[in-house]
Amino acid sequence: MSLCPRCQSANDQIRTEHKGLNAQGELVWTIFHCNACEFSWRDCEPAISIDYDTREAFFRIDPKKDYPVIMPPAQYK
Amino acid sequence: MNDDRKPLSAKAKEVGQRIGSLRDFLEFLEENGQCVTWSDEVYPEPDIRNVAVAAGRDANTGPAVIFSNIAGYPGKKLVLGVHGSFTNLALLLGHPKGTTIKELFYDIISRWGDDEPLLDFIEPEDAPVNQNRLTENFNLYELLPLYRINEYDGGFYIGKANVVSRDPRDPDNFGKQNVGIYRIQVQAPGEFTLLSVPAHDMGRHIMAAEADNVPLKISVMLGNHPAMCMFAATPVGYEESEFAYASQMMGSPLRLTKSGNGMDILADSEMVIEAELMNGVRTLEGPFGEFPGSYSGARRIPRFKITAISHRNDPIFENIYIGRGWTEHDTLIGLNTSAPIYAQLKKDFPEVVAVNALYQHGLTGIISVKNRFAGFAKSVAMRALGTPHGTMYLKNLIMVDDDVDPFDLNEVMWALSTRTRADDTIVIPNMPMIPIDPAAEIAGKGHRLIIDATSFMPPDKLGSDSKIVTPPAGPEIDEIAKVIQLLQNGGKS
Repeated sequence: MSLCPRCQSANDQIRTEHKGLNAQGELVWTIFHCNACEFSWRDCEPAISIDYDTREAFFRIDPKKDYPVIMPPAQYK
Repeated sequence: MNDDRKPLSAKAKEVGQRIGSLRDFLEFLEENGQCVTWSDEVYPEPDIRNVAVAAGRDANTGPAVIFSNIAGYPGKKLVLGVHGSFTNLALLLGHPKGTTIKELFYDIISRWGDDEPLLDFIEPEDAPVNQNRLTENFNLYELLPLYRINEYDGGFYIGKANVVSRDPRDPDNFGKQNVGIYRIQVQAPGEFTLLSVPAHDMGRHIMAAEADNVPLKISVMLGNHPAMCMFAATPVGYEESEFAYASQMMGSPLRLTKSGNGMDILADSEMVIEAELMNGVRTLEGPFGEFPGSYSGARRIPRFKITAISHRNDPIFENIYIGRGWTEHDTLIGLNTSAPIYAQLKKDFPEVVAVNALYQHGLTGIISVKNRFAGFAKSVAMRALGTPHGTMYLKNLIMVDDDVDPFDLNEVMWALSTRTRADDTIVIPNMPMIPIDPAAEIAGKGHRLIIDATSFMPPDKLGSDSKIVTPPAGPEIDEIAKVIQLLQNGGKS
């Protein structure tokens, strides 16, 4: 998994979150998370969710864009 | 306080006494053929979504589904659709299968209130939810069989948690302690975002904590008593307790205990996640397939850090399928959205007979009212728009006479067809509106539509010669209908 399926951020932005094992302790899937756009995914999901080219372009995220802030905080940290 | 209050039936009392937790309810549903176990192996995506949608197709009789064999989650259990059908709600209230939605509405109304709460407090060490307690190395991805609910959701969501928070400016006030359902996106093994807005009680707590720069502690209850879920999703007053309403509806005590961070929590829930608001932090969240049937967009929203987790042995993760309706979301909250609007209207207008706000959390409402004089229904409609829930949700209102069952859409369509004039509709522009209405030109603002489908009354002379056919009705006809159904089913009811 080299690029984020949603924002195409590079590998250095992607964290490995959790590995799902079966009862025998064998690896079944891995969950990743993108630090840039906060997308989480499992590597065994259908392409419509985790393949950049298959996903509808409408759902792409540009991490540099300003997205609406819910309840703008009273104090920013 | 509530003129519609009636004592519970013996069966309702018996069910109330029997059900103290999610596990009790699942057992009860299973005995009644309303809970099935899917034991074939499923992958988290897309299998769980597929099964959930198929099981939820029948809003009247669909079962709850327990998943017991999820790839990558050996030994973990997930349940969906606990509130997925009106039959499941009927059983919870001590009614037989086949009880109509209108009958359920009047039964909930007859139990409505918070003035006689039945709450037992037990010590934390005696609470089943505390059988296991974690205070470090939290990993929600490991503890819960998480999955993507809809294919373009931004991550893995917990959609049916009952979140308890206290007012940071009045932390000892039991009534102002809030229990609500808010969508939660897991953002890291030990952190999550939670979507609330200023109109929510929880939103008020978040804003107060950040303004005063004090900690906001919350307890996220998962796998809860089925009545709790119904009231966590109910718009009760800010100073009213959801625990009190839930216990009063069941007519039996709810067992509460204290969470490690000082909230009142259900002692018998499957899991309680204790967390603290990360003041001032906002994290990109969404999209998420929401109840209007469309995705709500990505936004930066408040983030929480987990401080402890308690759970029962072999906890069952209860979640919900939500998206384009009909879904469990609609059944879970429909009647409890309708009931408070009814109760509030009834105070001023005793002529109001019933309120159906089942559709998309009340974006469309149908109110049955006995017209006192010409145009009266429109005045009642205006009052409905001013109720707490109506202010943000009641976008389309259809007013029908008291001889029309607002829960029977064939009857409502008859009223629309025969009693509506085009100039009996009102559009009120630029009113407040929930931000996720997909039809909004500006998110957070919208127009309201009132259709008066009630009959004409003096001094209006038009239509006065319309004489309604009175088909035979009443207990005798109901009995004949049952006999015919028996004949049709070969003698089986």
